[in-house]
Parts: sequence; C-alpha cells; structure tokens
Amino acid sequence: MAKFLGINRLAKLFQIIRESGGLKQTYLKLYRNDDLKIGTLVGIDKYGNKYFENPYYFYGRNRWIEFAPHVNMDYDGSQIPADWYGWMHYKTDLPPIRDGSRPKYKWLADHSENLSGTKEAYMPYSTTPPKVEAWDPKAKK
Amino acid sequence: MAGREAVKRAVQQVRPILSVDREEARKRALNLYKAWYRQIPYIVMDYDIPMTVEQCRDKLREEFVKNRHVSDIRVIDMLVIKGQMELKESVEIWKQKGHIMRYWKESQEPKPTDFLSKFIQGVN
Amino acid sequence: MIRAPLVKALGALSSPTHQIQIGSRAVRTTAVIAQQAPAKAPEKIEVFVDDIPVQVLPGTTVLQAAAQIGVEIPRFCYHERLAVAGNCRMCLVEVEKSPKPVAACAMPVMKGWRIKTNSDLTRKAREGVMEFLLMNHPLDCPICDQGGECDLQDQAMAFGSDRSRFTDINYTGKRAVEDKDIGPLVKTIMTRCIHCTRCVRFASEIAGVDDLGTTGRGNDMQIGTYVEKLFLTELSGNVIDLCPVGALTNKPYSFVARPWEIRKVSSIDVLDAVGSNIVVSTRTNEVLRILPRENEDVNEEWLADKSRFACDGLKRQRLVAPMVRMPNGELQAVEWEGALIAVAKALKKANGQVAGVSGQLADVESLVALKDLVNRLEGETLVTEQGFIKGAGSDVRANYLLNSTIAGLEEADAVLLVGTNPRYEAPLVNTRLRKAYVHNELQIASIGPKIDLSYQHENLGADASLIKDVCSGTHAFSKVLEGAKKPAIIIGADLLERPDGAAIHATILDYCQKLKKKDWNPFNVLQNNAAQVGALDVGYQAGVEAVIKAQPKVLFLLNADAGKLTREQLPKDCFIVYIGSHGDNGASIADAVLPGAAYTEKQAIYVNTEGRPQQTLTAVSPPGMAREDWKILRAISEVVSTPLPYDTLDELRSRLEDLGPHLTRLGELEPASLSEAGSQATISKSINGGPIDVKQKELRDYFMTDAVSRASPTMAKCISAVNKQQRQNEQAKQSVAI
Repeated sequence: MAKFLGINRLAKLFQIIRESGGLKQTYLKLYRNDDLKIGTLVGIDKYGNKYFENPYYFYGRNRWIEFAPHVNMDYDGSQIPADWYGWMHYKTDLPPIRDGSRPKYKWLADHSENLSGTKEAYMPYSTTPPKVEAWDPKAKK
Repeated sequence: MAGREAVKRAVQQVRPILSVDREEARKRALNLYKAWYRQIPYIVMDYDIPMTVEQCRDKLREEFVKNRHVSDIRVIDMLVIKGQMELKESVEIWKQKGHIMRYWKESQEPKPTDFLSKFIQGVN
Repeated sequence: MIRAPLVKALGALSSPTHQIQIGSRAVRTTAVIAQQAPAKAPEKIEVFVDDIPVQVLPGTTVLQAAAQIGVEIPRFCYHERLAVAGNCRMCLVEVEKSPKPVAACAMPVMKGWRIKTNSDLTRKAREGVMEFLLMNHPLDCPICDQGGECDLQDQAMAFGSDRSRFTDINYTGKRAVEDKDIGPLVKTIMTRCIHCTRCVRFASEIAGVDDLGTTGRGNDMQIGTYVEKLFLTELSGNVIDLCPVGALTNKPYSFVARPWEIRKVSSIDVLDAVGSNIVVSTRTNEVLRILPRENEDVNEEWLADKSRFACDGLKRQRLVAPMVRMPNGELQAVEWEGALIAVAKALKKANGQVAGVSGQLADVESLVALKDLVNRLEGETLVTEQGFIKGAGSDVRANYLLNSTIAGLEEADAVLLVGTNPRYEAPLVNTRLRKAYVHNELQIASIGPKIDLSYQHENLGADASLIKDVCSGTHAFSKVLEGAKKPAIIIGADLLERPDGAAIHATILDYCQKLKKKDWNPFNVLQNNAAQVGALDVGYQAGVEAVIKAQPKVLFLLNADAGKLTREQLPKDCFIVYIGSHGDNGASIADAVLPGAAYTEKQAIYVNTEGRPQQTLTAVSPPGMAREDWKILRAISEVVSTPLPYDTLDELRSRLEDLGPHLTRLGELEPASLSEAGSQATISKSINGGPIDVKQKELRDYFMTDAVSRASPTMAKCISAVNKQQRQNEQAKQSVAI
C-alpha cells in the first residue's frame, strides 16, 4: 500500500537527505553531481575521490564516484586513476584497496588526467628539419 | 545590313523573366526585402551568429542598396530569384554558420599595383 | 707518361671524332676542319646505313656514319669526348659480307659497306650482349639512384630480351663486388658496374688524374683505385654523369629524388668565372642537385665539383628576414618596412656620402641598380671587392677579358700562365688547356709557384722580373710564344691586385700587341669570380681602397663577402647596408641586412670571364622574406623618394642595354679588340712586387671560395676528406722511410 502511494519513495528521499547531512548539503550534492544517491563508501583514492556502491540501483548505475572537493565543478572521468578504473567499469569486483595482488612498482607514473584545453595539453609539432636554415647573427663561427 | 541590325536591336522585344514592367519588378524586390526582414530574427537565433538583429538588418539593406543602380527589369528579376534562393537556403538550414557570416566578410583585398607595396607583400 | 699512347690512340681517330658534329658543336668543327682543310681535302667515301647512302670521310667509324643520318646505335662504353674503348660490345651491328657483327664504335667504315643496324643478326647480337650484362647486374633498380635515367635500364627495355634465362639453380647469387669509398662526392655501388671504363678514361684523359683503373680480367674485372684512396679532383662529379648505370652516383643526392618528380630549370653557374651552363633540379621549392648543360663554347658537357655540389649551401646560413642592428649592438629581424625606413634615414643623414661595394655573386641587374641608386644620391664611389689594376685600366674591355675565349684556348699552341692556377680558379678552362695539351701539342709554361696543373708544364719560377724577361724577348720561352701560331698569355686576376699590377698588365699588354695575329687575341685575364666582368662592364672601379679613401657615411655591400673591408677601416658612424643571400663576412659587419636572392632564385645576367653575358633563371623562390636584389635597391630608392625609373625586369634590362648593348645579347660573345687597348704607355713599367703567388694552390683551397660554398656542408666534407687523405699519405711516407 505504502509502495502504491509512493510513500516509500518519500521515505527514501528523507533518508538520502538525512545521510547527506541536511538540506543544504543535499542541495549542493545535487548541484554538483546532478544526481542524488546513497550507498556504501567502498574506498577513497590518493587524490581524494570517493567511490560508492549500492546494489539497490540497477547494474551500471550502482557504482559511482564523488570527485574530490578541491576540483569543484571541474571534474571529468579521466580523473579516475587507472587502478580504480577497472572497478568503476566492472572489469573487476575487487576494489584496488582490497586487492593485494596488484603490483606496485616504483617506476609506475602518477596518474594524469586529460589535459586537453589546458596549457599543458599536448601540441603536435613538426619533426622534419626546415628546408632552409636561417643565418643566426649571434652564432659565432 | 548593319542599319537593319541596329533597327532590329532598338525595337527588339525581349522575353521577360518574371515581371512585365518596372512596377512589378519593384514589388517583387520589396517582397523579397520584407521576407528577409522578417526572417532575420530567426536566422540570428538558428545559426547562433555573433550578430545582432539590427546589424543583420543593416547588412540586408546594404546588400539591396548595392544593386540600386540596376534598371534592367530582367536583371532585377534575376537578382530577386537569387535572393529568393539564398533566403530559402537560410530558412531551411541548408546553410551553415559560415555561409551566413560570409555576408560580413570583406571581399578579397585588391592586389597591390605600385612597386613598393608589391615589394613589401612579396608579389610579382 | 700517358701522353704518347693517348695521342696515338686519339690520333688514329682524331679526324672522325671531330668531323661528325651536329649543330651546337659548330665552333670546334669549323676550327678543326679549318686546320685540316689546307693540307689535303680527303675524298669522301660512300657507305650505306640501312640502305641509305651516306658520304663520310675515311676513318669515320660505323657508329658516327650512322649518327649522320640519325640512326642511333646503342652503346655503353663509347662517349664522344673520350677515347674509344670498344669493350661493352653493345654497339655490334651487322655488316654485309662480314662474317661476324662488328663493334660500330671502333670500326672505321670501308668503301661500299652496307651496314644493317636493325637486322636479325644485329638484334640478336644486342640481345645476347644485354643478356650477359644483365646476368651480372643486380636487379635493384627500385632502390637505385640511377633508376629512371639509367642507360642500361632504357636499353634493356629497347634492345633486351623479353624474358630472362637467368635461373640461379644453385642459389649461388650473382657476382658481387665490394663498394669503394672514393670520397664524399661520388658514391659507389660497384656490383652495378658494367665495366664500360668511361670513368677510367675520363679520369686519365680529361681530369688528368690516373687514379681510377681496372684490375682483374673477365668476371673478376673490377674498377677501382688500385690502393685504397679517394678519387679527389676538381672534376670528380662528372664521372657520375658519365656512368651509364648506377655504379657511380651522386653521394649528397643519394636517395633524395627520382628524375621524373623533379623540375628542371636551365640556368648558369656563378661559383666561378667560367659561367658554366647548368640544369637546376628542384622539387617542392628546393634545389636538389645541379647538372651540367651542354654548351660547346663554355663548359662542353662538364661541370666543376664546386658548381655541382655546393648547391646545399643554398639552404644553409640563409638570410630570410631583413635585420637591423639595435642600440645594444645585435642584429634583430624586422619587417621590410622597418628595414627600408632605417636605411632611408641613414641615407638622408649621409648627404651624398654614399658608396657601394659589389662582391663575387652580384648580378649585372643589381649592379646597375646600385650604381643608379648611389649616383642619384650624389655618391660616386662604386667599386668591386676584387681588385684590378688602378687607374683607367678597366675602361677598355679587352683589358680584363679572357680574349682568346674559352673554346679558343683549345686551339692555342703556346700558353704562358702568369700568377694563376686555372685548375682551381676555373677548372673548365683548365680542361681546355689540357685538351689542347693532349690533342694539339700545346706548350705551357707558368710564372708563379710550383703547382700541379694536371698536365706537364714548365715552371719558369715565381720571380716577378721573369715577366719582364719574357716580354722583352730575352727569355727562352719568348721564342716559343713568338714562334707559335696561336700564343696566349693568361694572367690571374689576383696578380693584378698587387701594387705593381698595373705595370705587369701594361708590360704583358705591350708584348701581346706584338704577339697578336689576325682573329687571335693572345691577351687574357682569368677572372676568378662571376661578377667581376659584369661590374667592370657597367662602370665599377676595382678594389676597395677607393671606399676607404672616400670614408662614406652609408656603404652598400652588394653580396660583398670576401671580407676585404673591415669595420675599422670605415668611419665610426658609417651605416653599412648588406644586400645578399648568405650570412657571411658582409652581413656580420652590417647595420642593416637586407635578404637577397641566390643565383638559383632570380632571373639575372652574369658575364663570364670571356665577356659572355648569360642569364640564370628562377628555379625556386627566395626563402622567407628575401627579395631579388635589384628590387631591394629599387625599393630603397622609392623610400628615399628618388625612385629608379624601372619597375620590372624588362625595364631594367633596357636600362642595361643603354649602358652596354652587349649585356643583353645573352649567350653571345662580343669580341673586344686589342688594338684599342694600346695606349697604356703612360704607366711606369716597374715590376718590383716580389715573388708571384696564387691563392688556390691545392685542392683544399678550391672548395670554399664564396658565400655559397662556405655555407655548404658538402664542401666542408670535401676539405676534411682532402686533409685526411694527405695525413694518410704522410703517414705512409713515414712508414716507408722507417
């Protein structure tokens, strides 16, 4: 009956608001993520991104990320580091913090996000030598 | 022989394209102008061009005034037909943003003719 | 040492090689025939080539008789300018009643012979020869640099069999020969060699260097240098053109381009004063290589190495943007407007104290434009960097030309070289002298240091007083000169720069008045740069001393890179404007650097040492913001509001015609008569300047002489190769001594 009247949904809403930490926090979360979900915190990576899981939601929507607060609204999928990528994309159910078999080499490079549109973005350049070499008055013979 | 040719040319009746007299041609031109005028706000919106409606209307006027000197009815008709085609293409979004912005683009700069500017630009 | 057999070998064939000549070789033909005509007009004999009757002189070979009616017989080893070898067998043709096919290149015709150049037997013989050649030739045409311009490829298509019988049943591989390192210019892939021996013959006959030769016989025959050494001469590039296959190829050009993708532009070489005719090969606005173009009057079909290989200097050290010296003393690139205004400001301040110096690579057009500009600004000092005798010596054209002409030197029978080394100053003049030495019994003597001229000559010594001795008729060689039919005295241009240059010039000139014959002018000055004759023709004075004396406020350096003028010799506030293509000595002392076009980038006239105006054509466009030199001067004139009265090249050329009508008659030689040059007696005849020297004594001095060749990495490699070779030789000598 309650289900029929949608009361359980209302109850869910209240639960979410409560768990999010009040009306204001809920609003901010909704504003930032365009979504309002609750779930268990599976782990936090070294950049401060939080990973959640809740099997209540349909497969494909049951794992999600809340990006670290310092990135503000400038978040995008490429900020997920490689080790969490597998879990986020259901390649594995074992999150990296619980997976001990992953190698941790010293030479592994730090994760870098997609830098397109920033100053650090990759710029292709020509490697062919110029056809004519100009004289440089400063270069002394 | 030559005289006959001249007479023939003087009295020659040409086949009209659309309009039979000046008044009709004028009406057609005006109609086209109005149609464009009314369409401009939609063009500005649809194509998302960085121009205001007023600027577009000024440009529309400019484009028409450019052909003010035309007095041949057949030429006017032909220009009207061309304008109609342009309008149709704009309305149907057959054009793209660049095609609209081309109205504001400066036409090709005239080539330099004197020695010094040719020299500086590096053209022969 | 090789002289006797060569003369013998050539003597037997001398008449035919000179008689079958077509159009362009008219000069030599007429000369030779003129020599022979009075002796005895030999009776012509009739032969039939493919049933077409031909009248030929006795001694003509079958190949030449066929060429007379336009039948070309395939050949590999035969070359018109080399001795006949007859070893490739490609030119086999059937002669009626002859039991075997005959080698057309070596066989003189007999009366009534019926030669069949396209019979079954001939075709079969060719096919057989081709099969043998291809059996030992690698199938690497796709990676061969000769591909597309290969004689073997073309003739295999035309005369070869349509199928191969070469089945390498035992997989033993084809004959392979180790590659040789013969220097930085010529790349060898000796497996491709078909043993035509053209390169060997060229080296010993034309270049006069017996470095190349063959070892072994039959299948083991190899072309090489006997011992491991470099093939270093100033003409080594020509063996690349001579090689009918890809065995000798152009090293800097290797794997660069295919002949069908390059654009060819006929032009003129300006790196020496000969004015060799060249073909500039370009692709995508880049000069890839330079080949000789046949001109019987100038370079025959040879080209000196500097002219051929220095073209990569056109891509380095280039001036691509105008530069102005900033207050901090550094040159900085600016726009053309800024540079022109900077020059104009300096010119306004100069108040007529303007001078111009032209260098080695200046073309006649820009020389005239500079002259007109300086004159309009009320300046008068216009000089060339290369010196010449002082005073009015350059007013008479015959005083500074190679009056006997380059082709004419071939007919000379006694030559005296005074203070010049033609081998490196003008290699293609030296080949003419060598040719005359080999074919014409030319006697050569030199006054100057002992140098290797690639032929035997008598070194009279380096003392300057020898000139007086010879010219007064007391020296032994004077008898030779006076007894000669066509004597010639060649003076080096650098010698006339000396303080007593005028005296030397006058002394020799007076003596030449005595020596001269009808239609033969024995007085020759061998210039060493391409701009000099043109500059003197349009009225420049020679030598930079006039500029130092004038102390100008603004000085134009037109391609002047020899470094004869330094900053210290000029007033402190002198504003130097450099116009040229390369950053070199001139640009580094300049206050404003205006980038000009190099000789492959402009249509311009150059006058060679014999006074022959020839024009270069635009092969590529000038790099960056560089402009044609005369246009820069024209632009400056407009900014200082005295515009020169020509806007186009045609208008400028008509101005040239006003100055000197001969300058625009391209390719034609305007003979300057010696008789007008007689009144030089006023100059005091005191030759006292010490021993005579030449600048380019050895091969290493040859490679870098101007802005283009100094910028060329290939030329730098050549110099280090020569040095390395010399070190090795010295080491070898030491070890022998021990």
